[in-house]
Amino acid sequence: MNITRRAGMAALAGATALTMVGAPLAAQDDSIVVGGSLPLTGVFAFAGIAIEKGMSDYFEIANEEGGIDGRQIEFVYEDTGYEVNQSVAVFNQLTSQNDIDMYYGDSTGFAKTIAPELQRRGDMIMGGASFASELNDPEEFPYIFIPGPDYIQQVGILLEYIADENPGASIALVNSDTEFGRDPIETTKERASELGLEVVEEIITPPGAADVSTEVLRLRRSRPDYIIFHGYVLSPIPEFVSQIRELGLDTQFMGTFWSMDSSLWQSVGEAADGFLGVMPYRYYYDEEEAPMLDRIREMRPEYQATGYMQGFFSAMLMTEAARRAVANGAELNGDTLKSALSSIEEFDTGGIIGVPVSVKGNAVPFGRVYEFNAESGQMEPVSDWIELED
Amino acid sequence: MSEWLFFLEVTLAGLGSGALLALTALAYVLIYKATRVVNLAVGEMLMLGAYLFFAFAAGWGLSAWIAIPLAIIGGGLVGGIVERGLIRPMLGESAISVFMVTVGLGSVIVGLVELVWGTDPRALPAFIDTSPLFLGEAYVSRKIAVAFVTAAIVIGLFLILFRFWRGGVALRATATDQAAAYSCGINVPGVYSAAWVIGGATAAGAGLLLGAIGGISPVMGVFGLSALVVVIVGGLDSVLGALIGGLALGMIQSWTSTYVGGEYTNVVTFGIMIFALMLRPYGLFGTHEIERL
Repeated sequence: MNITRRAGMAALAGATALTMVGAPLAAQDDSIVVGGSLPLTGVFAFAGIAIEKGMSDYFEIANEEGGIDGRQIEFVYEDTGYEVNQSVAVFNQLTSQNDIDMYYGDSTGFAKTIAPELQRRGDMIMGGASFASELNDPEEFPYIFIPGPDYIQQVGILLEYIADENPGASIALVNSDTEFGRDPIETTKERASELGLEVVEEIITPPGAADVSTEVLRLRRSRPDYIIFHGYVLSPIPEFVSQIRELGLDTQFMGTFWSMDSSLWQSVGEAADGFLGVMPYRYYYDEEEAPMLDRIREMRPEYQATGYMQGFFSAMLMTEAARRAVANGAELNGDTLKSALSSIEEFDTGGIIGVPVSVKGNAVPFGRVYEFNAESGQMEPVSDWIELED
Repeated sequence: MSEWLFFLEVTLAGLGSGALLALTALAYVLIYKATRVVNLAVGEMLMLGAYLFFAFAAGWGLSAWIAIPLAIIGGGLVGGIVERGLIRPMLGESAISVFMVTVGLGSVIVGLVELVWGTDPRALPAFIDTSPLFLGEAYVSRKIAVAFVTAAIVIGLFLILFRFWRGGVALRATATDQAAAYSCGINVPGVYSAAWVIGGATAAGAGLLLGAIGGISPVMGVFGLSALVVVIVGGLDSVLGALIGGLALGMIQSWTSTYVGGEYTNVVTFGIMIFALMLRPYGLFGTHEIERL
């Protein structure tokens, strides 16, 4: 009986140890602490795991180079399963155990839920996986930032590309029925109209939809020159592409950041050839001069997904904001960190983004259009870096 | 293109996706019919079947025509192991306890798949021709047509087996009265195992077809929820109910998505479920005595 109990205790201890992987360490007194609600399991885990690696790597680089004025950066995080309630629970747990200065949130829902608490506390700023346009409002969300262009800006980059390549083209919008998916629809229609583009079809797909033959029938009737997908990672885009190509329609397919990982498209094969989309960062394998990419490739010789670059750049922005706030002699809190972040102009990212970038509003509105080449299995740039004005 | 032709195409697309729902619903029905267990892990067993195919076809490089039967057999084995390892020890426990075991089982399967294959969504190696199919002038996705024909054959086969085959009759007898089935010499535990094995294999087959259309990911098991609506509407113990309920729901979802908007599909789907429960709590084709959880 004792043996059984001991074995049970050992199993319990083992299970606890497993759940503590990635759990917060006690932060040192003078360290700068970054917390994170990360989706390491669940529907967004493919991104969460990559984000964690990207952030950890950048903080490791920064710490090796002396940290921030000698202060080390500690990164504490836990898994959320991409559930808002779990993300909030993780936030509460981490903030009760650590004096957190900056935070990474895993979703739009979490960012909006926790925003009033951030304002009440006033002691930190938060970035995250969400590029929701609604968050790009410094008045309403003073302590939040977006590590790239918001979703409206991302689609705006695509529209500018289309207007440049094919003036007067017709467009169909295919969006998932999620907060993420519906984000840019109304503004996209307005912007398309301003650019002389015609939106000929709007389709909303239910969450988790796999069969899209009904939607393909509608697209076959409207015959758009371009279809812009938003609110998906992969499925059901390949099925759309495959069916529409088989029907002989001369349509080009486009996506936004979270559907732009080349390793995911490699598994789709030939049907993915020519898929276009907006990418705010360089790809792991980009050959243009980029010292920071070289450093990443030294640390991790194998391909790193787009989520990695997003996490890496998020950590870079956080570190730069803290560095500027410390250099100003200011105490680290939400106001000083956000003020320091907003002062970032013409910032050299070491090639993570191809041009010097600036923070505008709560976002970093830069991006480039890439095209998937099925033969090489890589995304290749087809535009210059595009900076959006307001 | 005339509106009528378009309506016909939309309806055919709905029938195709409805057939997939019906096939998944069949896995619920087979298990419930014999063992009175509502297996909430059917969606995850479906997902596991798709990953088994992925492992055999992409990982081991086997031909799709070898990988398909292997994945279906693998799904059946999983069903058998679950029955012997988890469900049979729960015999005699309350229905809600067994129900909760299946809920937990679903989470365990998702966790195992994430551990083995990772969390990235993936495309299955192509095993269905993608060239478009035209019935007269009406376009039908070939994958959806294949799903429809497969589901129709499988469900038709089960209807015949339940009617004429000794094993099918034994399953029906067990479902009707276990004590009487024992007294007639029917191997009731064997029937239990058989139901789970066949249910697991059916779910794996549905997973293959679903994965071929929409790709695979550890969260694709959510499709099982729509199939659960089918069995609740059609009747938890009715194979015919699964067929008719699946096809009807597929068409309704297709019409809703086209003429009202995709954002209303779930509202309509679950609205139908509530309405059907209020009108006929035992399902349109179910047996009157069915207990509801």
